[in-house]
Amino acid sequence: MIALEFPPINEILRWKDLFPTFNKIALIAVLAAVIGTLIFLLAGNKDAKVAPKGIRNFAESIVEFIENGIVMQTMGRDGLGWTPFLLSLFSFIYLCNVPGIIPFLQMPATARMALPVFLSLLVWVVFIVTGFKHQGLGYIKSSLFPPGVPKALYILVTPIEFISTFLVRPFSLTVRLFANMLAGHILLVTFGLLSEALFQAKGNPALIPVGVLPLFMLIFLTGFEVLVAFLQAYIFTILTAVYIGGAAHPEH
Amino acid sequence: MLTAVVIRSGQALQVHLVSSETSGEPVDLSQCEFKPEATNPTKCGPGPSPIIPEMKELAWGAGSFIVFALLMRFFLFPRLKKGMDSRYNSIREGHENADSTRASARSEVAQYEAAVVAAKAEAAKVVDAARATLETERQAAITAANARIATQREAAMAAADAARTAGRSQVESAVVDVVSSAVEIATGKRPDGSAVSRAVADAMSAGVR
Repeated sequence: MIALEFPPINEILRWKDLFPTFNKIALIAVLAAVIGTLIFLLAGNKDAKVAPKGIRNFAESIVEFIENGIVMQTMGRDGLGWTPFLLSLFSFIYLCNVPGIIPFLQMPATARMALPVFLSLLVWVVFIVTGFKHQGLGYIKSSLFPPGVPKALYILVTPIEFISTFLVRPFSLTVRLFANMLAGHILLVTFGLLSEALFQAKGNPALIPVGVLPLFMLIFLTGFEVLVAFLQAYIFTILTAVYIGGAAHPEH
Repeated sequence: MLTAVVIRSGQALQVHLVSSETSGEPVDLSQCEFKPEATNPTKCGPGPSPIIPEMKELAWGAGSFIVFALLMRFFLFPRLKKGMDSRYNSIREGHENADSTRASARSEVAQYEAAVVAAKAEAAKVVDAARATLETERQAAITAANARIATQREAAMAAADAARTAGRSQVESAVVDVVSSAVEIATGKRPDGSAVSRAVADAMSAGVR
């Protein structure tokens, strides 16, 4: 018989401060910024005239992915000025997500609420400011009173549009990123604990080989988390581009 | 307030509910870390809320991102993009140069082919002229040869006629002599020479025919 008690969620999020006001989440965020900066700094130092390879090729691939895969698809050529912001957002979120599967770090910084909240509020401010900058007060009208809707329906549509555009967007951005990364982290912890408990089941040696099953699941989920880390960074970035594009050009 | 404390020893996990009021010790969350083998878990509280953002994480995360985004906006991205644009422009220029070189080569090939066609036409003209000249000369030579042959033939025919005439005259004279001698022997009288000659001439003319 084996007793397995899964720890409460807040216990698997508890990290010792490295020094006062600086914990592992802060360390991951700083590392993400430093690694992102180093990647693009080193890439920029390589000779641009020859065919790119190595780190320059990697950095240029990210830039082209943002430009062709996100900006051109959502905002068109006019939105290319947003590439640095979206590139920063994508790189930073990805680099904060990936530590969830890196030994010793083993915690995505976005599985805590602080970073998703900050980034979502930033995006919220950015797309609202962009809307006012491009449309002035017409932004409120185009957001709350969508053209083509019968006037009687504005009684229903306007509050819905207000809630969905100005309240739900930052909330949904936050929860989507945070919940996905936290769920992945909990899954990894679950299968790690289960595997460890089965391997150490001294009372019933027959259970020891069974520990291979959650171990395989753990390995599979570790690979899956790489995909999730990329996917969540991509989703957050493309939604940001859609919101900014919609605010700048409501006709799109 | 009750705090759930999980102690793991060997295979078993024990759960205790500890009241922070009764323990009397202040709980310092910042020094806590989840460790299954924790020996003194009562010093740790329930851990941070998974929902409420922590100010230190917010501050460090925001600071890191803002610095990163500013660096990206004003330094990292422009530098990388400048290199990319420069290379793309150079590739585009290379393509354009290649296109213009290809167009120029095609034009030169067309000119060469036109020159070849002109040269062939010129060569054909020269060959035709030479062939015409040769034909003219051949016809002239043939005409000259034919004329020479005709002259020689006429001369030969004249010579042959003269020889025939001379032979006939000699034969006729001999026949006249023979006939005259034969008549003289037969009649004892020499016949008139002119009559014999005329008779022989008539007989030979009839016989030749």
